[in-house]
Amino acid sequence: MSIKINIASYLQPYTNNLEVVEVNASTVGECLNHLVKQFPAIKEMLFDKNGKLFSYVGIYINGEDAHPEELAKPVKDRDELYILYIIGGG
Amino acid sequence: MLTIEEQERYDRQIMMRGFGEEGQEKLKRAKVIIAGSGGLGSPASIYLVAAGVGTIRIIDHDRVELSNLNRQVLHWDNDIGRNKVDSAAEKLSQLNRGVKIEAMEETINEANIARLVAGFDLIVDAMDNLPTRFLLNKTAVENHIPFIHGAVYGLEGRAMTIIPGKTACLRCVYRGLIPEEKFPVIGVTPAVIGCIQATEVIKYIVGIGRLLTNRLLVYDGLNMKFTELAVKRDPNCEHCGHLIGEE
Repeated sequence: MSIKINIASYLQPYTNNLEVVEVNASTVGECLNHLVKQFPAIKEMLFDKNGKLFSYVGIYINGEDAHPEELAKPVKDRDELYILYIIGGG
Repeated sequence: MLTIEEQERYDRQIMMRGFGEEGQEKLKRAKVIIAGSGGLGSPASIYLVAAGVGTIRIIDHDRVELSNLNRQVLHWDNDIGRNKVDSAAEKLSQLNRGVKIEAMEETINEANIARLVAGFDLIVDAMDNLPTRFLLNKTAVENHIPFIHGAVYGLEGRAMTIIPGKTACLRCVYRGLIPEEKFPVIGVTPAVIGCIQATEVIKYIVGIGRLLTNRLLVYDGLNMKFTELAVKRDPNCEHCGHLIGEE
């Protein structure tokens, strides 16, 4: 199942500046694991040392907030994930 | 009542569908806080003053620095070293003498925020740091004051409107903080987002259109793309969770 992961611009330096990464997975957690496998540096931006998603990282499935229990949420073929990273400049 | 001069000055917006003199009178009576007089605060305040919002209170504790001038368009070369609020108030007063500009040179903190926002109808989040944004969000929620969020990073921007007790708040979207950091930005990004914030303020006050509530607008200037993310109220939200079921 092909899932598109849209990467917020803040995180793109960790994905070789790619805005979209495609993975094959059936849950959000699997999607992120595949992403980390391809781009290991992004792991410390998304997860704490216990493997828990940081509270300021938002996961959206087809534009809808996946909180809570984001990592367990199922995804299906052609779904799109958006990884939202907090920004605060003004 | 609008004066003859006001009728002429605001003629083009009074013509707009759903606006009319009644809408202009609502703007004239409105009191809006712009928290921050930097990249976002500059365009937001310029357009709200031009539109005829009756009272604008600008809060900022900074002085103008050379490195601000690529984006903080209310401050010019000759203002370097001046208080930002004085620099802003001077230009805004020249733009529209009919608007009352209150310049408050203060650092927003837990001790003074309730006093700073008391009696105001709306708060525009034009801060440059996350802790103060969250303090503003919490205060807006506690005092049931609509809060217009905006933030930028490089060529990316975000905006969302929060109606306390009715829609998701900033803390429902971001449940934690990252350490403060120097952020990259070019002036056109806060120009886009600050204008979106001003648009939301005008719509709310006049009572027209569909507000940017329960939706986080993500602006990607690099690809010239707007993405909308559906945000929902979090029953466990530290700031607004206790209001669920009350309204």
